[in-house]
Amino acid sequence: MFVANLPAVAFALEARQVTKRFPGVVANDKVDFQLARGEVHTLLGENGAGKSTLASVLCGLYRPEEGKVLRNGRDIRLNSPRDGLANGVAMVHQHFRLVDRFTVAENVVLGHKSLPFVLATREIEERVGKITQEYGLPLDPRAVVGELSAGERQRVEIVKALYQGAEILLLDEPTALLAPPEVEKLFVTVRAMTRAGKSVVFVSHKLGEVVDISDRITVMRGGRVTGSVSRGEADVKRLAELMVGREINIVPRRAKSPTGEVLLSVSQVHFERDGAEVLADINFEVRAGEIVGIAGVAGNGQRDLAEVVAGLRTPRHGNVTVCGTPTAQSGATVARRAGLAYVPEDRLGTGLAPSLSIVDNLVLTRERGFLVDRKSAHDEAEYFIKQLEIKTPGPLTPTRKLSGGNSQKVLLARELFAVSGSRVLVVCSPTRGLDVGAVEAVHALLDEARDSGKAILLISEDLDEVMTLADRVMVLYRGKITLEQPGANANLEHVGRAMAGIAS
Amino acid sequence: MIIFGRNVRLEQRMTTPSYLLAVVPLASVLFALLVGAVFLAATGHPPIRTYLDLLDNGYTSFYGITDTLGLATPLVCTGLAAAFAFRMNLYSIGQEGQLYLGMIGGTWAGIVLADSLPGFIAVPAVLIVGAIAGALWVLVPALLRARLGTSEIVSTLLLNYVALNLVNYFIFGSTGFFRDPTTSFPQGRSVSENARLSPLSFFTEKVTNTYPTFFIAVALAIFLFWFMRASNYGYETSVYADSPNTARYAGMSSTWLQTSVLLVSGALAGVGGATYVVGPAGKVDPGLLQIGLGYAGIVVAALARYNFLAVVLAAVLFAGLRTGGNALQASSDPVPIAIAVVLQGAVLLFALGGELFRRNRIVISRVERAVAS
Repeated sequence: MFVANLPAVAFALEARQVTKRFPGVVANDKVDFQLARGEVHTLLGENGAGKSTLASVLCGLYRPEEGKVLRNGRDIRLNSPRDGLANGVAMVHQHFRLVDRFTVAENVVLGHKSLPFVLATREIEERVGKITQEYGLPLDPRAVVGELSAGERQRVEIVKALYQGAEILLLDEPTALLAPPEVEKLFVTVRAMTRAGKSVVFVSHKLGEVVDISDRITVMRGGRVTGSVSRGEADVKRLAELMVGREINIVPRRAKSPTGEVLLSVSQVHFERDGAEVLADINFEVRAGEIVGIAGVAGNGQRDLAEVVAGLRTPRHGNVTVCGTPTAQSGATVARRAGLAYVPEDRLGTGLAPSLSIVDNLVLTRERGFLVDRKSAHDEAEYFIKQLEIKTPGPLTPTRKLSGGNSQKVLLARELFAVSGSRVLVVCSPTRGLDVGAVEAVHALLDEARDSGKAILLISEDLDEVMTLADRVMVLYRGKITLEQPGANANLEHVGRAMAGIAS
Repeated sequence: MIIFGRNVRLEQRMTTPSYLLAVVPLASVLFALLVGAVFLAATGHPPIRTYLDLLDNGYTSFYGITDTLGLATPLVCTGLAAAFAFRMNLYSIGQEGQLYLGMIGGTWAGIVLADSLPGFIAVPAVLIVGAIAGALWVLVPALLRARLGTSEIVSTLLLNYVALNLVNYFIFGSTGFFRDPTTSFPQGRSVSENARLSPLSFFTEKVTNTYPTFFIAVALAIFLFWFMRASNYGYETSVYADSPNTARYAGMSSTWLQTSVLLVSGALAGVGGATYVVGPAGKVDPGLLQIGLGYAGIVVAALARYNFLAVVLAAVLFAGLRTGGNALQASSDPVPIAIAVVLQGAVLLFALGGELFRRNRIVISRVERAVAS
C-alpha cells in the first residue's frame, strides 16, 4: 500500500495527542512525545505531572482514551505490556516486579511466553551472562534475587527487558532507590544501550542528575508537556521553572552557629542487630535552634540510629537524653513525653496509617484518654490544611490518597506542632520522592522549626539536602560517625569521601 | 480477556459511587436466587412459589420471623466474634469451638451458681461465665500468635475439633457433671430455673422461639459499633490493622492488641453459646453441634463486611434462609434442606464476588491486534 502519512524521519517511538483520564484527573492531556533511535530522552516533572502515566501508555500498560502511539512511524495499538514487548518496548517500574526466591536467571525468563516444560537453565544463564557483559550490568545469573541490593535488582529488571528483545527501555524513577555509585553504573549501562542503537526513556523528577545523561529532556506539568529541550540547551534553572511553572529559589541556606541549650544528647551509644554491631560509639549533641545533618549512603546505620534516638530500639549501652530526661532504656512513649518527635523515612507505612484519615493520623502521637477526642483533631486538621496548603478534599480523606508532598506535610505538622509541644525533632529523608515544590515547602518548615528554637536531627541520604539545611554536618559510615564539620564551611569533597569510606 | 470478540477488562475504581453500596448486595442476593432457581427447577419444584414459601416461613409469618430471630441470636454473637478478629487481620476461625465452650461454661454457672442467686443476677452470670469460657478457649492460640507468630487460623481450627469432642464426651462418653443423672438417655443436665429466660410472646398469647437474648446480642452489636469508633482501644486496633509498623512507631503494643482482640472475639462467641443456656436449651445440648453456627458466623461477618451493625442484618438474613429452608423440608411438597444450603452458599459467593464490581469497573473495548514491527 502507498504509504503517504509516514513522516520523513520516523521516530522510534512517538505519542501523538495522547489523552488518558483517571476519575477526577486528566493525567495526560493531548501529549506529544517523540523518541529518536539511540537517544536518551528524559521525561521530567513533579509528582503527578503525568510522566509515569505517559510511560505506561507507551509500554501498553494503559490504553489512552484519545491519541495514538507510533513505532517507527506505524500506528500500534497496545492492549497490554505483552503487546508492548512484541513491539520491542519494555518498562522497568519503580517498584520491582521480581520473585525474591528465584535466581536472577529464573526471574529473567519469568513470564516469557514460549518456555519449555523443563528450563534449559545452563543455556539461559549463559545468555543472561552475555547480556550482563555486553551492557555493563555486573550480575551473577545464579544469585538469588532476595539477597540482592536495590541496584542489583534493577539490573535484573533491565536484563530481563533486554533478554526479551527490548529495543526501547522505559525507566520509571530509576535512581530513586540507588546510592550514588550505583547511579553511575546505571548511567554506564544506559550509554552502552544507546551505543547499540537502543533508546532509553528516563522518567525522573530529579533535575540535577538527568541533565548530564539526557540527549533530550521533555518537561511535563499537570498532564501537559510544557517544553522540550535538547542537550546543550538544557539549563537547570530554566528546567526547574518549566517543572514548577514559576521561578524558584535554589540558593542554599547559610548556616549560623547556634548557641542554644543542648536539647538532645547521644553519648557512647552502641547498638547490635543479630549479633552484629550496627552502631558503634555514637556521640553528638543537638542544641536548640540547630539542625544537625547526618549524611551517609543508605544502609550505614541511619535507620537504627533514628530508632534508637526515638526510643523504638534499646541500645546495648550508651545514653540518650531528651530535654534532660534519659530515654535510652525507657521506650518511645517516654521519649515522646520528654519532648521528642520523630518523622520516619517511610512516611506512609510507618509515620502515617495509610487508610486512616488525616484527623485520625493527627491523633496518632497524642496522649489519648479512654475515648479519642477527634473534635479538636478535626479543627487542627482544618487549620493545618489551610496554613500549610495541604491539597486534599478534606480532613477525613485517607492519607494514602494524598500526594507524597501533602502526606509529608501532614506528618511534619503533627510532629512539629503537636499539642504536646515537642522540642526535639528527628527527621529521616524528609524529601525523598518529593517534587521540587514540595521539597521547598518541607525545607521551609524545617527552617521555621529551627528558627523557633527546636533542635533538629536530620538524617538524610540526600547530600544536597544535608548541605543545604544543616548547621553542622556529620557523616555516618558503617555505624560510626566518621566526620563532623560546621555547615557554613563544610567541604563537599571531604563529606563525599567520608560517605564513600575513604579517609581524608 | 476476550468475550464475544470484545476485549473485556477490569479497571480499578478510584472512588466507589455510593449507589453501588446498595446495588451490589441486592444484586448478589438476586443472582443467588437465580442460581437457586436452577436447582429448584431441576428437582421439579416451582421456583417462584418455593421462594414465596421460603419468604413466608423464614421472614414474614409470625412464627417464621420469631424462629429466625431465635436462631439469629447466637449467630449475631459468632458473627460479631468473627468480625472483631478479622478487622484486626486476625483470622480466627475458632468461633465454633468457643460457642461450645460458652455453652459448657454457661451451663456450669447455671448449675453451680444460679441456685443461690436471683434471676436478674443468675442470667448475666451465665452469660459472663460463658464469655469467659469462650475467651479462655482462645487464650493459647492468642498467646502463640502474639508471642511466636503461630498462625491463628490453624490453631483455632484445631481447637474446634477438641471442643466438639469435649461436648460429645460430656454427654455421650461419660456420666459426669454435665450429664443428666435422672435418666439413662444421654442428655445434658438442666440448669437452675433461675438462670433461664422465658421466650418472648410479642404481646400475643403465642409461645415463640425468640428469647430476650436477641436484644442483648443486638445491644452488643450497637455497643461494639460505637466503642470501636469512639474509644482509644478501637483507634489503636484500627491503626494496627492498617499498618503494624505505624502502631509500633506510635508505641502501641502488638502483643497486647493481638491477644486482647482474640480474647474479646472468643468471649463474644462464648456469649453466643451461653444464650442457648439461658434460652432454648438450658443445658449442654449436642444438638447445637449439627448447625455449625460458629462457621456460619464467619460467613455472616464476611457478608457484613465486618461492620458490627450489618452483622445483625446479615445474621437475620442468614438465619431466615435456614428456618425457611427447614419449613420447606417439612411441607407437603418437601424441598430438600440442601437447597437452602445451596442458597446460603450462593448468597455468600455472589456477595464476595460483588466486591470485585464495587472496587473495579468493567471496560469493554474492541479487540485490535498489535502490529509487530
